[in-house]
Amino acid sequence: MAWEYYLVVMLVYLGTDLLAVWGLNLEFGVSGVANLAYIVVVAAGAYTFAICTLGPSSGNGGFQTYIGGFTLPFPVALLAGALAGAVVGTLIGVTGLKRLRQDYQAVAMLVVSLMVATVVSADTGFLNGSAGLALIPNPFADLDPEVARWAYVGVVALCCLIGFLVLRRFTTGPIGRTLRAMRDDDTAASAAGKNVIGLRLVVQAVGGAFGGLSGALLAGFIGGWSPSAWVYIETLAFLSCVIVGGMGSDRGVSLGTLIIAVLLLQGVQFLPQISSSPGLSEDFGWIILGTSTIIFIWFRPQGVLPERRPRYLRKSSSQSPG
Amino acid sequence: MQLIIEAIGFGIATGAVIALGAVGFSVQFGISNILNITYGSLMTLAAYVGLLLIEHGVNAWLALVLGAAVVGVVSVVYHRALLAPLVRRGTRAIAMVIVTVSAGIILQYVIVSFAGPESHSYGEQSGSTLHLIGFTLSAGQVAIIVLTASLMLGLHLLLTRTTLGKAMRATSSNRTLARSCGISTDRVSDIAWFISGSLCGAAGVALAITTVSFDFSLGSLFLIPMIAAAVLGGIGQPYGAMLGGLIVGVSSEVAAAVSNPNYKDVVAFMILIIMLLVRPRGLFGAAWSTRRLMEG
Repeated sequence: MAWEYYLVVMLVYLGTDLLAVWGLNLEFGVSGVANLAYIVVVAAGAYTFAICTLGPSSGNGGFQTYIGGFTLPFPVALLAGALAGAVVGTLIGVTGLKRLRQDYQAVAMLVVSLMVATVVSADTGFLNGSAGLALIPNPFADLDPEVARWAYVGVVALCCLIGFLVLRRFTTGPIGRTLRAMRDDDTAASAAGKNVIGLRLVVQAVGGAFGGLSGALLAGFIGGWSPSAWVYIETLAFLSCVIVGGMGSDRGVSLGTLIIAVLLLQGVQFLPQISSSPGLSEDFGWIILGTSTIIFIWFRPQGVLPERRPRYLRKSSSQSPG
Repeated sequence: MQLIIEAIGFGIATGAVIALGAVGFSVQFGISNILNITYGSLMTLAAYVGLLLIEHGVNAWLALVLGAAVVGVVSVVYHRALLAPLVRRGTRAIAMVIVTVSAGIILQYVIVSFAGPESHSYGEQSGSTLHLIGFTLSAGQVAIIVLTASLMLGLHLLLTRTTLGKAMRATSSNRTLARSCGISTDRVSDIAWFISGSLCGAAGVALAITTVSFDFSLGSLFLIPMIAAAVLGGIGQPYGAMLGGLIVGVSSEVAAAVSNPNYKDVVAFMILIIMLLVRPRGLFGAAWSTRRLMEG
């Protein structure tokens, strides 16, 4: 029984992590937009889902205060979460438009992430401050618990399937090539007539939508969401999956998510518990994450499954290609 | 009004520590062109090394010196072993930020594994409170201000009066040209990282002395105000960082006094973001340094 529950949790986490990593890969790996504030779009999706599905804040004894509370059905709330992610992603994108060095922009994004978390935690009326939102209704609450859990896994799987199909529209084909051109040399892409600024904002919107959907699904599953779930270093966890797996490659980052989120981070749970330090496995998880990122940047920056560079057929000529 | 004057006093005390850290951060960027986000966790390391020493009966100020020295050495080794080789291979700036953030996370959680997640304290600070021009400061805070001022003066003298200082300024300004002039830029970098690492360590212990209690998040909490101060003053400019530290410290405390104290940190965040978006070279950054900051 416990195994079954554990498997459900792992599958849901894998699904939501995949959606988020695909979004971040679209932004960073494929398009070269260093969005280190990515976790904010995930949080935006989660909070929007919560305020859409919860009732008015005075309900449940009024122990939490927040805006919204529309008691909308599950699919609508999911869409709202994705939309919120897109909007917030675009806003973040606007702040990153000024052409600064990439590392400056990265630090600015980290600060934005930290600032949003601070403001949301401090303002108790907006989204219930640092306590976060709880008692988010589960859409399958009426069913038998085991069926409800697997039904949720099914929903996550469906979202991943649809999400992947949408993703491929952006990472392959003409749009994909344009984005990669923008990543590799945006001046050249601009000179070739591509609207670099527009593309960046579109990518941040789509990437944000993926993140928002991920957050919404997660909030629905856990039933709660608080600022501790989206500290600014969580973006590093997703970034680690992207770098380890293979930046710019959808298969690569999917494998990276499997390696990092499932094998490593879940694997440390099985280390023998040291009774004096109960939080050790989580700390160890972060240490492993940071170490893997640095090891890969040092030894294999292209990742486990590197992005496949397109090969174009050469025109046949009398000389053999040399 | 009295509240604001007292807030200014606190701001100067906080600002002094922020300035201390910001100068170190600025020097590291000036010498190596790296935004070293690990700086925050290194401050935490210093605070915990200081804690260890104090728990064994060492005087707090000696602990500060030793903590600074430890972090200075760790910084040099870190730069030499990890950062410099990556830069030499042509690692992109964004990847360097990711590396330094990851290293910061590793260091922070290694500290947690050893010291635990609970709060610690250096204990009650004995000594009188002083009343100067309407400010109310503890003896510890005044000592920190004096310490920071002397360290800044020392750095100024080093940079302007010594050959080493000249070599550091040259390496900061144009590394290749400095090397062509016969300056051993690798050695100068090592020394610069030791000095800035020591400032980082001193700032970490000073923070632990001035706060009532701290935990493993100490460094990361104060890192952003320090980066804000460094950027405000013009990154790479130690003097700018000193002034930036004061401005960030005072404005944060005054803002907290007149409005919601929870938003104290937001002032530093806003300063940083606005500076990066509007004037990345800072107040005192020279126009030529803008080249370093724009796309490249």
